[in-house]
Amino acid sequence: MENKVKAIIARVLNVDPVVITDGLCSGDIPEWDSVGNLAIISTLEQELEIEFPLEDLFDLTSVQSIVDEVNQLMHV
Amino acid sequence: MFDAPHSHVLSCIAGLARHNPDKVALVEGNQRITRGQLVTNIEIAASFLTSIGLKPGDRILLSARKELEFVYLYFAAQLLGIVNVVVDPTSPQDRLDYILRTTNPVAVIGLNLLTGNHRCIQFDDVNVNHSNWGDSIYTWPKVNADDVADIMFTTGTTGAPKGVCLSHANLSGSASNINGFIGNREEDIEALGLPLSHSFGLGRLRCVMMAGGTMVLVGNFANLKAFFTILEQEHVTGFGMVPAVWQYIKRLSGTRIAKFSNQLRYIEVGSAALPIEDKRLLMELFPNTRLCIHYGLTEASRALFSELHLNAKNLESIGKPVSSHVEVCILDENGEPVPDGTDGELCVCGNMVMKSYLLPDDNADAFYDRWFRTGDWGHRDSNGYFYLTGRKKELINVGGEKVSPATIEAAIISLGVPDCACIAIPDPNGVLGEVPKAFLQRYDNPLTIDEIRQHLAHLLLSNEIPVQYEWVDVIPRSSSGKIQRLKLKR
Repeated sequence: MENKVKAIIARVLNVDPVVITDGLCSGDIPEWDSVGNLAIISTLEQELEIEFPLEDLFDLTSVQSIVDEVNQLMHV
Repeated sequence: MFDAPHSHVLSCIAGLARHNPDKVALVEGNQRITRGQLVTNIEIAASFLTSIGLKPGDRILLSARKELEFVYLYFAAQLLGIVNVVVDPTSPQDRLDYILRTTNPVAVIGLNLLTGNHRCIQFDDVNVNHSNWGDSIYTWPKVNADDVADIMFTTGTTGAPKGVCLSHANLSGSASNINGFIGNREEDIEALGLPLSHSFGLGRLRCVMMAGGTMVLVGNFANLKAFFTILEQEHVTGFGMVPAVWQYIKRLSGTRIAKFSNQLRYIEVGSAALPIEDKRLLMELFPNTRLCIHYGLTEASRALFSELHLNAKNLESIGKPVSSHVEVCILDENGEPVPDGTDGELCVCGNMVMKSYLLPDDNADAFYDRWFRTGDWGHRDSNGYFYLTGRKKELINVGGEKVSPATIEAAIISLGVPDCACIAIPDPNGVLGEVPKAFLQRYDNPLTIDEIRQHLAHLLLSNEIPVQYEWVDVIPRSSSGKIQRLKLKR
């Protein structure tokens, strides 16, 4: 699942997948701006058929935190 | 220390450094740059630009990376009379190539653009801590206030970007107008999350530097948690945002930002329309903050302003002229004034209105005499408040970024779709204001919408990719071949 989430983030931001490391945070690269962040959230929700709780969105600030949240929502 | 009679912004930066050199002017990460260091580093950057042979009137293409080196180089070029062509480093290659061709810069800084006769320089080459570029400059070249300082590129209606030529007087006039309205002062600490490649963000930098405040460079607004931490740790007193960022803040953090209500002295919002319910919400959350909403274009920066608390009974209005140096009027299609209450084109003249567009063809219909034509429609009421009612130019305003339908249509047709047309629709997610929708003419063995979307990801910026698609038998066109977009909006 981790690789799938990272691949989606790379595709949405239109960047090389090697850029998407665990420690990368939103805002660290120009492509990951507020619009890019919303696109990541909505694409993950659509493609993985999940829904991020509103109260968690504020804390989804890094690749690792997004992967952890997806794993939790999908009971991986 | 330099003297720059041609630029009030630069003169203020130097004067403030003489007055109090130890006050912090810039913050980036752990680095804190005082006014004295800022002036020294601008001078070092100027020495560097001189050492590589640049002369007044030469152009440099400068990548708008939010780093200290950008600030030094940007002001150093203005000090020397070198013209800054400021570009977004994430722009598609064809846009960068177009800008390169039309501006023909002597040097490209911070980008790898290899085609052309220019010199390529990286930001690391301009490290002010390791400068050995020869003697300091003691005699600064004579530069006129009316000389071009910056060329900013905006989206043109035909798809090709337009170069906007702004003089030193334009930039200084704009900063004075804005600071006068917002009331920027030395005690201000501003967080800059806006991009420096746009008039709004770059203008904020000039305003704060001119007022003697402190500017905290922030990557962008994506990481709200980090942004809120900066608001708290740096005791930020103001920031600028576009309406899409406000929608983002609401969606990701609800009303948490209201905890900074007592420390935020001002918030500037602009580049797109802010819905009236959001104006009311901001007023409720920030009862003691100056909420300054601007209307403007790169060509005529912040022509109108409205402070929400002071104009609570006119929230539909886009405000009044920003200062006594700016006039706004409504003209009909012959360039004649119309009576109050009658719709026409908003036209602006004043100290910040651009000298001209870079290419002569773009200037053909840009002005009625001294009045710059905005392409926006609206009216003025009997109390002098202005209101927007529509847009003549067929641009789509995606979260404050102007997107040309022609650019999207050309990209779609390049995929083999026989004809298409794009229009603006309200963002279904309620964040970006407007987003593009594409109408595609049916044909045999067509690509799927997903395939089209995937191809467009390589051809267009993310905000240019249509959010909705619809197949139609034919794209409605007038007898002259012009797309009849109004028919598609029904």
